[in-house]
Amino acid sequence: MSSNKEIMQTIQLRVNGDEHSIEVPPRRLLIDCLRYDLGLTGTKEGCSVGVCGACTVLMDGQLISSCLALAVFANGRDIVTIEGVARGEQLRKIQNSFMDNGGFQCGICTPGMVISAKALLDENPNPSEDEIKEWMMGNLCRCTGYYQIIKSIQEGTAELADA
Amino acid sequence: MVTRWKLQVRGLLWMTRLPIVCVCRVFLIPQVLAKSVRYVYIVRPMSYTVIGKPLRHLEGRAKVTGKAIFTADVALPGMIWGKALRSPLPHAQIVSVDTREAEQMSGVLAVLTAQDLPDVLTGRVVYDTPVLARDRVRFIGEKVAVVAAEDPDIAESALSLIEVEYEELPAVFDPKEAMKAHAPLLHPDYKSYLHAPEKFFSDIPNVHSHVTWEVGNLEEGFAQADRVFDHTFTTHSQHQGFIEPHASVVSVDSDGRAHLWITNKMPVRAQKLLADAVGIPQEQVVVHPVFIGGDFGGKGSLMDSPLCYHLSKRTGRPVKMVMTYTEELMAGNPRHPATISLRTGVTQDGQVVARQAKVVFGSGAYAGFKPVPFVNIPGANQAAGVYGTPHVRIDAYSVYTNCVPGGHVRAPGDLQVNFAVESSMELIAEALGDDLLEFRKRNLLKDGDLLPDGHRLEHVRVDETLEAAIESSNWGKPKTGPHVGRGISASYRHIGTGEANGQISLEPDGTVKVITPVPDTGTGAHTVFQQVVAETWPLPIQKVRVEAKPELFETDSGAGGSRVTYVVGQLFKEMTEELKESVSHVVAEALDCQVGDVVFEDGQYTAKGVERSMTLAQVAKFGLGKTELSIRKTQVNRDKPQVTTFTAQVIEVEVDPDTGQVQILDLVTAHDVGTIINPIGHQGQIDGGVIQGIGFAMIEEVAMEDGQVSTLHLGDYKLPNIKDIPPLKTVLVQEEIGPAPFHSKAIGESSITPVVGAIANAVYDAVGVRIYDLPITAEKIYWALKGQNANVE
Repeated sequence: MSSNKEIMQTIQLRVNGDEHSIEVPPRRLLIDCLRYDLGLTGTKEGCSVGVCGACTVLMDGQLISSCLALAVFANGRDIVTIEGVARGEQLRKIQNSFMDNGGFQCGICTPGMVISAKALLDENPNPSEDEIKEWMMGNLCRCTGYYQIIKSIQEGTAELADA
Repeated sequence: MVTRWKLQVRGLLWMTRLPIVCVCRVFLIPQVLAKSVRYVYIVRPMSYTVIGKPLRHLEGRAKVTGKAIFTADVALPGMIWGKALRSPLPHAQIVSVDTREAEQMSGVLAVLTAQDLPDVLTGRVVYDTPVLARDRVRFIGEKVAVVAAEDPDIAESALSLIEVEYEELPAVFDPKEAMKAHAPLLHPDYKSYLHAPEKFFSDIPNVHSHVTWEVGNLEEGFAQADRVFDHTFTTHSQHQGFIEPHASVVSVDSDGRAHLWITNKMPVRAQKLLADAVGIPQEQVVVHPVFIGGDFGGKGSLMDSPLCYHLSKRTGRPVKMVMTYTEELMAGNPRHPATISLRTGVTQDGQVVARQAKVVFGSGAYAGFKPVPFVNIPGANQAAGVYGTPHVRIDAYSVYTNCVPGGHVRAPGDLQVNFAVESSMELIAEALGDDLLEFRKRNLLKDGDLLPDGHRLEHVRVDETLEAAIESSNWGKPKTGPHVGRGISASYRHIGTGEANGQISLEPDGTVKVITPVPDTGTGAHTVFQQVVAETWPLPIQKVRVEAKPELFETDSGAGGSRVTYVVGQLFKEMTEELKESVSHVVAEALDCQVGDVVFEDGQYTAKGVERSMTLAQVAKFGLGKTELSIRKTQVNRDKPQVTTFTAQVIEVEVDPDTGQVQILDLVTAHDVGTIINPIGHQGQIDGGVIQGIGFAMIEEVAMEDGQVSTLHLGDYKLPNIKDIPPLKTVLVQEEIGPAPFHSKAIGESSITPVVGAIANAVYDAVGVRIYDLPITAEKIYWALKGQNANVE
């Protein structure tokens, strides 16, 4: 994805623990960098305006909408995408909880949901229903009506599950 | 005489703020009912091994780890990107299109206009939609040209270099205006379009389909009536709101075959439609399975895939097109806005005897997104609601306008019409001085009643369902504040029919493999197939694998219309029994015994009086080359079951009289259900439908002004978020009666329909404002409370 007239910039990214050095045009969005330059298509694009939360990733431990961030802005930063939530085949308990409690249907919002939920549980292992709602406001789901997502978060933890 | 044996289990499952009340009513002596029905009702205890278990959806791991591949994730070597230029005018003649400058741009590989494409129209049933506008554009957002470039940003920039000269034509946006004598005609050649159903032609301007449903004799009905009421309601347009916008990838290989990846829940049909749209034989299109990021009825069209095909053919590269959400809202296929006029005849003692309904749907600029043969909106036939009305006539008009074309959205037409019916029931009860609940109960459908489409219902459980909703709600109890109100609403939803296909085989490793052309759009359909096969055999769930391979099939109805568990589930149940029979023959040969003596126990095959036993893997190995342990089948199920599914809701709201803001305090949804195959998926359908219904009722609107959509991103088009959800109580009125496997029923399109009517009725109960025009916004209530109409300032 490059136009030969453009000035390219080299950025260093640490994504899910792996170091990458990538040449990108300054206009490149972080989501496109992750999805197309690095092939990490687990991060989804829904609304493209930072409302739906499908593109949520962690940057230096903070939740951000990768559809609103430029790739150059992530230079030298540490990014965690959905691909980096599990450790190899070993899932987090929150991922299992989404499966056990119907926390997803079509699955398009799920990567963003899981990333946001894990970040919440890292900070607050026993969130109340209101705390869950407050935290998860930035992630839209059209399928579940959210009830089973709340239950998934209440019954999950950020820890790794037994392999 | 029917003996009724009641067994009530209440408060079976209480979760935090999500109580599910199970009301099991078991009717014994079904033979009395069985006389008039086509299948046998069996009441049996729930003694299944995998049916009814809350099993994880089998694709769950892929979805929670980000490994599930959706269309926009497909990456092919050499892939390039397409972007479409859209019309800024609602109705105009295209004078010229100049693409020269765009073609010169670095990174641009092709620019196409209608002149580069075959003169072919496309659509889901009627072929009325051009792939690119040829001579004229008919709505703001219609595609005029397309660019392929090395990168989506370049493609986007190149669009601004294309110059189109238009000559504006008079446009019409309101369907009622479009039906007038001198309205501009959008499709003067409609009658010549391929698959335009002649039976539903109309001479009214711009009406492309006029469908009538009639039972009884309307004149006679109104002659019996002591009072006649007229009410008119209008509804707005709603986007499906799936988080994944439409996407397509096409790669034309060296043999001319088109490989297709598409956001389409009817992928087999998509092969046929694409072949027709680009002028190649169907065998030349190979559809590849992908996950679908939400459907809700909206993902059944080709959308940009014909453009991807032409660009791929031109450039020799795979081409991807992904719509932005702005394009979705401007040119997707949202719910049809409607005007519903009801004339109701009622006797002195409060019996509804006649109903005339005229439903006008704004079809938008094209009818090609409509998937039903009569190219209209099927839910219009619910204009008598859940009330047994002996004399009914419904006329549904689908009308071309210069607006975004409408498509199917979960329970299409049902929501619009049900809102009108449930509001009018209250208006009538009030005028008669009747009790809102008693008036409804007196008129409810009963066994043997005819629906307006002439379909006779049996085993009607609307009374029990409504009663269950009332009992579990605060109906009739003291209110907690001066502006608190409660509303009732009830609806029904058919169990869908259609064509099912599948393949089932015993694999060398001893697993049973099920191949289906139907994608799992998130409903858990594949897990349902797995459970049905595992239960039928019976096998442990892990021994059954499900794969989607639409490319192996030539025809199929795909997902939609609340049909999948019924038609596909039934097919797989029968195929499992057949495969099991073939396996028994192989075992009999291997063990040298009679087929009748073959026994399957604890995962092993053996036979009476035989010492040896065989695993399924051993059977597969023995049978290899001798017997075909693979079955492939097509089954067309056009028998609409006489059992339907009912939903009743009671919603409690509080209205702020100073602002008109409505808050839902309590929502009870009661469902008439059969055997529940997977409680996780089942409850998920109920929850999701209710919230989508609230969105439609109160916050979502594809707002338009002179054909221009003004809610062009998800910041303006509000989808309900996690803080918008009210306390929800689900009541399941369960009975093991249903036409789908193991006496199950449909659920996907049930809970959404009554929501809007119940909220409207609750608002009236709270502050005395009757809503005739959707959505129910704070602004409308505020102005009504001030004694003014919101639209007149």
